[in-house]
Amino acid sequence: MYKFFDREKLKYCYQCGRCSSGCDINRIDRSFQPHRLLHLIGMGAFDKVLKSDSLWKCTTCFTCSERCPQGIRVTEILWIARTIAVKAGRIPELLVTQKDILLRTGRLIPMDNKKREKAGLAAIQEESSVVAEIFEIMEGEK
Amino acid sequence: MQYAFYIGCAAPVKALKYEISTRNLAKSLGIELVDIPEFSCCGFPVKSMDSFAALLMAARNLAIAEEKGMDIIGICTGCMAILSEAKEYLEDDNLRNRVNEKLKALGVKEYAGKVKVKHFARFLYEDYRLDRIKGKVAASLAPLKFGIHYGCHYMKPTHAHGCFDDPSTPSTIDDLINITGAKTINYPNKSLCCGLTIMGTAEDLSFKLAAEKLECLSSRGVDAMVLACPSCCIAYENNQRLIGKRVGKEFNLPVFYFTQVIGLAMGLSEEDLGFEFNRVKADRIREKLRY
Ligand code: SF4
Ligand code: SF4
Repeated sequence: MYKFFDREKLKYCYQCGRCSSGCDINRIDRSFQPHRLLHLIGMGAFDKVLKSDSLWKCTTCFTCSERCPQGIRVTEILWIARTIAVKAGRIPELLVTQKDILLRTGRLIPMDNKKREKAGLAAIQEESSVVAEIFEIMEGEK
Repeated sequence: MQYAFYIGCAAPVKALKYEISTRNLAKSLGIELVDIPEFSCCGFPVKSMDSFAALLMAARNLAIAEEKGMDIIGICTGCMAILSEAKEYLEDDNLRNRVNEKLKALGVKEYAGKVKVKHFARFLYEDYRLDRIKGKVAASLAPLKFGIHYGCHYMKPTHAHGCFDDPSTPSTIDDLINITGAKTINYPNKSLCCGLTIMGTAEDLSFKLAAEKLECLSSRGVDAMVLACPSCCIAYENNQRLIGKRVGKEFNLPVFYFTQVIGLAMGLSEEDLGFEFNRVKADRIREKLRY
């Protein structure tokens, strides 16, 4: 598996908290603290990160990434940490449903060609196996 | 010039007014949006499940457009961010080679890194250019006042999009709307996220975020919120009543796509702009424009 983020880079995080102080989710839910999550990830304490629900509270708005004085791609790291959580079996119910739809139809939101026809829009292919094929190719990748 | 139209999976089901108005606006501006049936999901929803699979999915779409020799124009900010990020990742030769190997297995030609990716609003701003649209404005929307919601992924992450707009004080869509004669306001929550991405995993937080902007714009007396992403529209329009109930308020804020507003100024009909699909009706706008 390609390493999307390098833990080495997290050494440059000096825990200033600027990511958290600009985060709107942190503002309305103080328990959500991106700088804490980054600290834990940097230390390799993944289990602690995975145990909390925090990863699924991030909206992926990228505000923290834009604010980090060290140029750390905070959002990307939190986003990819989800992949690690999912592979460790911590998959939220919503994702189970979404994955099922994606594998079956190749799209997140099932097509509704009747509705399109009524609106005078051309039909769009309802099912594609592309997502299933891609997941198949990914099987066996580490 | 022909462009590969990346419609995404939300717009053609959940945002018919966006699709209709985009197609008709493009047509009257002489921009040829070509539908590409081979395009798949951009990879956004897969990124939380398997980052590499998501990258592969994005790369496949980029490669398909590249093979057809067309740059990509899209209308979903999420799709545009994922495709732009993938472009940036694939500047790395090693990674691109690995991805290209897998693309072969998917029966897609290898990706060289040439295709450009732009949101339709950005394309109008940067490539088509404002003065050309201005020349086509048939009816000034001067009596109207809008609050623009950009959507986080419209310009962020800036390293992937190339810093074309400022994330804390964005202005490109304001500028586009201003050429219709309509005013746009600056408001404190302008760069706030719609929260839709966490609706399924942290609904309470998601709705609180959306409520903040709905409250702010309602209190400022704008005629409508104007936005550029089907997901944001689900948060602010489809869920408006539900969110209002949750926070004990009754919202009545019309929500329009930027394509509908520009089209209106260019004299396109309500039918051509999908107005019938606007949930909070455009009566106030009609009254002010007296048509
Ligand atoms: S803003 Fe950057 S340096 Fe500061 S705590 Fe967050 S990740 Fe670390
Ligand atoms: S991307 Fe996530 S952590 Fe960063 S500011 Fe947005 S919600 Fe907060």
